[in-house]
Amino acid sequence: MLYREALNLALDHAMEHDHRVVLLGEDVGFYGGNYKVTEGLYAKYGAKRVIDTPIAENSIVGTAIGMAMMGLRPVAEIMTANFSMLAMDQIVNQMPKLRYMSGGKLFLPLVVRMPQGVAKQLAAQHSQSLEHFFASIPGLYVFCASDSIVAYHGLLQAIRMDDPILFLEHVLLYGLDFPFEPLESFDPFRARVLKEGRDVTVVSYLKMTHDVLKVSQWLEEKEGISCEVIDLPSLRPIDFETIYGSVKKTKRLVVVYEAPKTLGLGAEVSTRVSEELFYFLDAPPLRIAGEEVPIPYNRKLELMAIPTPEKIYTQIVQWGRRHGL
Amino acid sequence: MSQTLAEKFYYLMKLGREFELRCKEEYLKGNISGFLHLAVGEEAVHVGAVVGFGKGDLFCPYREHVLALARGIDPKLIMAEMFGKVTGVSKGKGGSMHLYEPRLDFYGGNAIVAAHLPHAVGAGYARKLMGEKAGVLCIFGDGATNNGTFFESLNMAALLEVPVLFLCENNQYAIGTHVSRSSYLKDLFLKARDYMPSVQVDGMDVFEVYRAVVRAKEYMEEQGKPYFIEALTYRFEGHSMADKGDYRSPRELEMFRRRDPLELLLKRSLKEGWLTEEQVRLIDQKVERLIEESIEFALNSPEPSEEELYSDLYCGVCSDVIP
Amino acid sequence: MDYEILMPQFSDTMEAGRVARWLKKEGDFVEKGEVIAEIEAEKAVMELQSFKRGLLKRILVGEGQEVPVGRPIALMELGEKLEEFKRPPAPTPEEKKVTPPKEEAPKAVYSEIIQKVELPAGFASPYAKVLAKEMGLELEELQKEGRLPSPAHARDVEGLVRERYFTPRALELLKEYELKPEDLISIFPDRKIDEDMLLAYVEKEGIPRRLPISSVQKSLIFNLSKSSVLPHYHIYEVFDLSQIPWDKDITLTHWLIKIVGDAMQYFERLRAVFKEDYYLLYPHSSIGVAMAVGDELYAPVIKEVNRKGLKEIAQEVRELKRKAEEGRLSLEELQGATLTISNLGMFGIRSFDAVIPYGQVCIMAVGMQDRDGRAHITFTFDHRVVNGFHGALFVKHLKEKVLDKNYIRFLKRG
Repeated sequence: MLYREALNLALDHAMEHDHRVVLLGEDVGFYGGNYKVTEGLYAKYGAKRVIDTPIAENSIVGTAIGMAMMGLRPVAEIMTANFSMLAMDQIVNQMPKLRYMSGGKLFLPLVVRMPQGVAKQLAAQHSQSLEHFFASIPGLYVFCASDSIVAYHGLLQAIRMDDPILFLEHVLLYGLDFPFEPLESFDPFRARVLKEGRDVTVVSYLKMTHDVLKVSQWLEEKEGISCEVIDLPSLRPIDFETIYGSVKKTKRLVVVYEAPKTLGLGAEVSTRVSEELFYFLDAPPLRIAGEEVPIPYNRKLELMAIPTPEKIYTQIVQWGRRHGL
Repeated sequence: MSQTLAEKFYYLMKLGREFELRCKEEYLKGNISGFLHLAVGEEAVHVGAVVGFGKGDLFCPYREHVLALARGIDPKLIMAEMFGKVTGVSKGKGGSMHLYEPRLDFYGGNAIVAAHLPHAVGAGYARKLMGEKAGVLCIFGDGATNNGTFFESLNMAALLEVPVLFLCENNQYAIGTHVSRSSYLKDLFLKARDYMPSVQVDGMDVFEVYRAVVRAKEYMEEQGKPYFIEALTYRFEGHSMADKGDYRSPRELEMFRRRDPLELLLKRSLKEGWLTEEQVRLIDQKVERLIEESIEFALNSPEPSEEELYSDLYCGVCSDVIP
Repeated sequence: MDYEILMPQFSDTMEAGRVARWLKKEGDFVEKGEVIAEIEAEKAVMELQSFKRGLLKRILVGEGQEVPVGRPIALMELGEKLEEFKRPPAPTPEEKKVTPPKEEAPKAVYSEIIQKVELPAGFASPYAKVLAKEMGLELEELQKEGRLPSPAHARDVEGLVRERYFTPRALELLKEYELKPEDLISIFPDRKIDEDMLLAYVEKEGIPRRLPISSVQKSLIFNLSKSSVLPHYHIYEVFDLSQIPWDKDITLTHWLIKIVGDAMQYFERLRAVFKEDYYLLYPHSSIGVAMAVGDELYAPVIKEVNRKGLKEIAQEVRELKRKAEEGRLSLEELQGATLTISNLGMFGIRSFDAVIPYGQVCIMAVGMQDRDGRAHITFTFDHRVVNGFHGALFVKHLKEKVLDKNYIRFLKRG
């Protein structure tokens, strides 16, 4: 099932069974969503529940917060994470804090969805990965979907929850077809071990998870290095238990992410592992991440700015050689 | 009618005035800390609006003690919140700027200028979708009308036909900047006039505020659309306790003090015979007693336990309506 | 949805069990792996561990009661231990509150490393130091002696430890049989384990050896699987090869490559590649030569056979064989054939058939030449390209060519 179809299915299912679920955002209704995630829902549920809003990101999230306070279960769409910067007041000052500041009196059953990441030559203002901004805010849950299973179950679970959730998608995944099976139960807070391995624990999420899976196959075939690949469906909280369990076995950690390396999510994961499992480590944790530049337009430069399977492969091999693998 | 109203107004405005002055005192004693924004001088707007609006959701800015009192939140719980005690209305985690009581449809003060405007729009939309008529009252200062979110919210409320009463309390200063130096349009109600019915009222006269709000409420309930009121008022204190307010001339201050809303109401009520000296004395006594009780309650309340640090961050529950 | 704890089946023959004792009571929080009850079955008492973590909500089967295997004996509410668990003020009555997510409180530090850590001196990774300490190694000394590299990693320390207990050959066998060194060390304590001990152990326990499949073999498997489902047929024929004067320099295979390559010039379908809507016909004859190198099968290609002489072909086949042995064959050298020759005659095989390499149209399986110089050759054709009629004409033509003395002489002269 296509990734965007899985998201659509989750929204449809939620709207069908819970009349309190409403959608809002730019172009989500009549137009069907800029990535076609909300296609068909306007016709099915009408303009009152699938609300086309002006281009006013701060107010889209703010309005959704107001709706949630009154007991609706809004799912707001920000066209891309790059535009969420305009809604940072609502996302940072309001969404995660209202419940806490009210001493638990307010409930915010709210989901803000947005895609992020490098697509193809969209240049610096349309290519950012901003998960570390959001994941650094207590009071938010940050989910991200790397395939259709998480897209469907993760989003559905996010809508069911009575807490504010920021739901990250990746622009390059929308059109991809992933194997899909409806699961009996799905825990979005539990990291997924997509491939078991012996020598290195590789933690990743969103699109990079797929690059890592590819690389792990090359490493196995060409270098005899066996990777345990862990995908994170939740970036706040991060399921450190699963990561710790894996690193205790492999003694090595690599974190792969698309955002610039400095102060990214990899910094958090590798620091936690170093703090908790220092004496289990046979090598310093390795971060494979984007370069410290805005994403350039030119395709060659663009690919230089982010991890690619080839770069991930080379860096793991070189790091492994330096550190006794 | 005027008699009951006058008594109610006088009680709430007196309570608000005395409560806030006592907060100032407790601030100086060190019992209250952080930011404390007093609404002394603006009580007519707060009380007139809340009483006039009646049933419906309330979204306020950070200067919201009088609004909370007028909505009926127990002064004890508000004072305990100011003292940072666990018995406070927000368990001591919000403080002066963050009083919440959803049971009384009171959705807080918000410390970010104009951030609560879209909340009010969303709340109004939700209420309307659920078939309720009451609408939402959203109060903010003159400073907020220069913020982008203000215009976003006007547009959204008008576009989606949401019954929100936008009430701008124009106390003429955004901290230290006079409205004439921050806004191109000097009459702030003009900013909303192209989106919705928009009027300007004397915010020192509680009856005038009351009447305007009642009219607005009728319009909203009938039409299901937004409304805008600008109430002209003045704050007698600084922006917060950190601000002496000395950017204003003594003459200007004196001019507005002569139109102190509480004094105006008292004089007029006595003159019109809506209130007797005896009634006033009884109300003053009651107010004094309530404030003493609230101080005692706040002082004797426990600090939050250490577990409170992590509680209330997430509710950690899940609806099972969706299979 | 509550999680049901079922009466477990501890053995194949167990049909029912009796709850001897509950070790947890209702309302207790149960960790994964914690013993929650004792179950009596078949005269033995066994511990029942929890597979999940969560709240033991209800006990359905009391102590002393016996129930069949598979019947629920208790209910659990799965999830994390949270104070929040208990306080759900429901906004709407129809909602049930479930699955609380994890709290943000700081995690407990691992208890096993909370004691003061004293590690040996030396330059090594943290984990290598811990290992060295556990194994009682003097890290710094060993590094000075050059027996451990610097910095040392877990692999080096483990390697050194293994050298103490295993002979080098035994170490190789450990990998092949996927054995854990700890297991063997515990079976043969205080002795250096050699190949014989290890093989005896393996034989006694009946442990299978793991033979990895090479990437060459994997791609072969992949292609064969694709080929075998294509429509194909065989032609079996006995060839009189007595006229071919082959020797050890120019072998029968070299001769056949040349003769077949020339013959292919008369039959364009033998030079075709199937492309769904059309055939792609190549002007020259290119022939794959199947050869075994070690355990692998390669079929490098002699290009444009029709333009080359016997000597040139023989030399090229030898060169390709050498490259295959050295693992230097390029993709280019493995591509482009439409026909492959496989000769198993040197092993005394009289006749056999073969699977057409994927993308080609024919494979010739050449058997042993008998005393009269005759040999069985089996042709396998891709029926989509070469119909029986074409195949028969091609075989007939070949049969004539191998007996054409003038032609053979001409070839031999070069």
